[in-house]
Formats: sequence, structure tokens, C-alpha cells
Amino acid sequence: MNSIHDMGGMHGFGPIEREENEPVFHHKWEGKALALARTGLAGGHFNLDEFRHAMEKISPVDYLSISYYERWLEGTIAMLEEKGVLDAGEVEQRMKEIS
Amino acid sequence: MTSNDDVALRVRALESLLLEKGLVEAPAIDEIIDLFENRLGPQNGARVIARAWSDPAFKARLLSNPTDAIVELGFEAVQGEDMVVVENTSRVHNIVVCTLCSCFPWATLGLPPVWYKSAPYRARAASDPRGVLAEFGTEIGQEAEVRVWDSNAELRYMVLPEKPAGTDGMSEDDLMPLVTRDSMIGVTKALDVGEVTP
Amino acid sequence: MSRVITQEVAQSLYKATRTAHVDADVSASFSVGDGIQARNVNPTGHTRLPRYIRGKQGMIAADHGVFQFADSLAHGGGKQPQHLYSVKFTAQELWGADAPAKDSLYIDLWDDYLEPTEMGT
Repeated sequence: MNSIHDMGGMHGFGPIEREENEPVFHHKWEGKALALARTGLAGGHFNLDEFRHAMEKISPVDYLSISYYERWLEGTIAMLEEKGVLDAGEVEQRMKEIS
Repeated sequence: MTSNDDVALRVRALESLLLEKGLVEAPAIDEIIDLFENRLGPQNGARVIARAWSDPAFKARLLSNPTDAIVELGFEAVQGEDMVVVENTSRVHNIVVCTLCSCFPWATLGLPPVWYKSAPYRARAASDPRGVLAEFGTEIGQEAEVRVWDSNAELRYMVLPEKPAGTDGMSEDDLMPLVTRDSMIGVTKALDVGEVTP
Repeated sequence: MSRVITQEVAQSLYKATRTAHVDADVSASFSVGDGIQARNVNPTGHTRLPRYIRGKQGMIAADHGVFQFADSLAHGGGKQPQHLYSVKFTAQELWGADAPAKDSLYIDLWDDYLEPTEMGT
């Protein structure tokens, strides 16, 4: 699909920002988001190509404004809902219960 | 932008659902995080490059059959299944990008840094590699050829940096600190001996 | 086909090799050195053919062998095993005459993305 993920050749994003001695994860939740995505993949619930496409389908405005591991998180939730492992709204309901 | 607390809550909600539904067990989550934090990383790639600099036969295997050569050193890991290693010389400078997402050789370099996954790098590395290299402080003369590798599909790319001058006779262990993650992506050269902080 | 991710399974994920290489006897449409043109397509689904490559002419630099096809697998299709090539494009072909004459870009493209050209780079 022709969306924002296809960035090769674009202008206007500014300089490349680097961080010295960058940690693997900046927040504990990032590692968890990755582990839960791997769960969906290695657990056989969805494949890597479906997962990549789920992230590409995030609307361009959101894609650029959320962080990398948020895209993984949203891609994982979208795939699990699509595959019927989760019901739509189940994550939001659980957020209310545990907040 | 979502606040960090909100995202953390959303992750916790998903985690509790997947634990409850029996898709994953709690110790497995910690195990996966440990794998990415501690076992996969550029220290693996540095070992591969230092070996190639010290052992011409290994270097030949690394360039002709990279996947198996890397496995020889014990790095038979996820996202290293189909590897390509490209050699930087005084005439050719290689630089790796994934314009579509964040494809990266986890087996030898671990997870990619934030800048590699960022829009500015993905957008410009393909169309203006010399400009990007200059941002990293790497000047490539007009007499040399720059080759960009867009790892858009199933192959994973690693650069074999040029061996720095004045390193003849150095052991593999002493060479390793000269091999930085960025030099194996191709945005910088390997460190000179004097640049290594003990 | 789903499985529970136990600690033991998680430990195996270090090695879990998900190679996309397919051991299948599929003939290659192109050989190293052939001139090609990337198809001008605009699929609404998943593709690994970026916009900046579409319609551009390049040369087959290497044949990686037979790989499963991401565009199909992303949509519940089969593996559609086919050759995956490293294709070389000059920087000037992709970005115009102002690009450095010596520079180039290599990208991996499946057979289905390519059509032959008369140009033998």
C-alpha cells in the first residue's frame, strides 16, 4: 500500500537524531510490547508479513506521532483482534479494570 | 502523542489478557526481554568482524557464504537466517537502511537503534547517502563509490568495515572494541586505535 | 497450529530460525547481468516494492534463490515461492542527473516485481 511507511526519498523530516550509549529499551513496557508481539508470532497466531501490514495500516498521522514500540503494540492488538484471539474493545475494557 | 503512562497501561492490559488466555507464561516474557537486552547485540557482530580482520580464510567465507560463517562463531540466531555481508574498501563504501520498516540483522547487531528506525534516516539514506554519512561525520571522497543496501525483503545486511591503519599484529580480542555497531551499518568507519576509550 | 509460549519455548526463540528461503524447484525468470524494469504497480495490500523503485530500470546483481513471497503471505495467500534477486539501480536512475554518477542502490526484488527491458546495463 502507498502509505507513510514507504519513506525512501522523502524530504522534510529534519536531521537524524542520535543518542549516545542508547539502551536497548527506553522503558520497561517497550520490552514487554516486543515480547507480546513475539508471542503472537512465535505462537502461530499471525505471521510476520501480516504483522508488518498491520503496522502499515496505522493511519499516517498516528504512524508518525507514536513511537516505534507503540506501533508494535498497536500492530499486535490489531492482529489478535483480526484473528479472533481478542474481541474488539477487550484491551480497552481491561485497561479500565486495572487502571 | 500518547503519554508514557497510558502506553504502559495498554501494554499491561494486553499482557494480562494474553496471560489469562494462556497464550504466554509470565517467565517467558522475561526470557524474551532478556534475549534482546543481553544475548543479541553488536558485541556478536564485532566478534565476527574482528575474526574476519584476523583470519583471511574466515573473511573469504564470510563474504561468500555469510550465513554459515556467522553460525560458525555461534551466532545462529533470529533475523540472521539469510545474511549478506558487504565489504567497505577505499573504493567502495556500503551503507544499510530499511526504508519500509526496520529490518536489521538481530543475530549480529541486536535490535536497531532509534535513529535507524526514524523517519529522517529511512527517508534520506536511500536518496542522499552522502548527506547522511556527512551527518555521521563520515566523508566519502568523490572518487569512491557509495552503495546503499535497502534491506526491504528477506535478506539481512551487515557491513564489513575497512580494517583501521596501524592494527597489524593486533589480536582478535584487541580489535573487537574498534568495531562499532554504526560501522557495521556503514554510517561510520571503524574506530582508530587512538579513539578507543579503555 | 498455535502454541503456548512457555519459558522453554522462549529460550528456543534465540535460535528459532524462520528462514523465508524455500527449498523448491522454481525456475528463475532472470539471470545475473539482465536488465530489468520494476513494475509500476500500486497495490492496496502489502508489498516490499517501494514507490521509489517502481518503473525504474536496473540490473540483476545476484540471485538469492527461491523465497516465499511476502505480498501473498500478508493476506492469507500461499508462499508463492519465487526467485528473489539483488537488483542494482544507479543513483542517477532513481534520483536524477544530479545524483553522483558512481553511486548506486541495491534492493531485493521478487520475480513478480520485475519485467525485462532491452537495456543491458
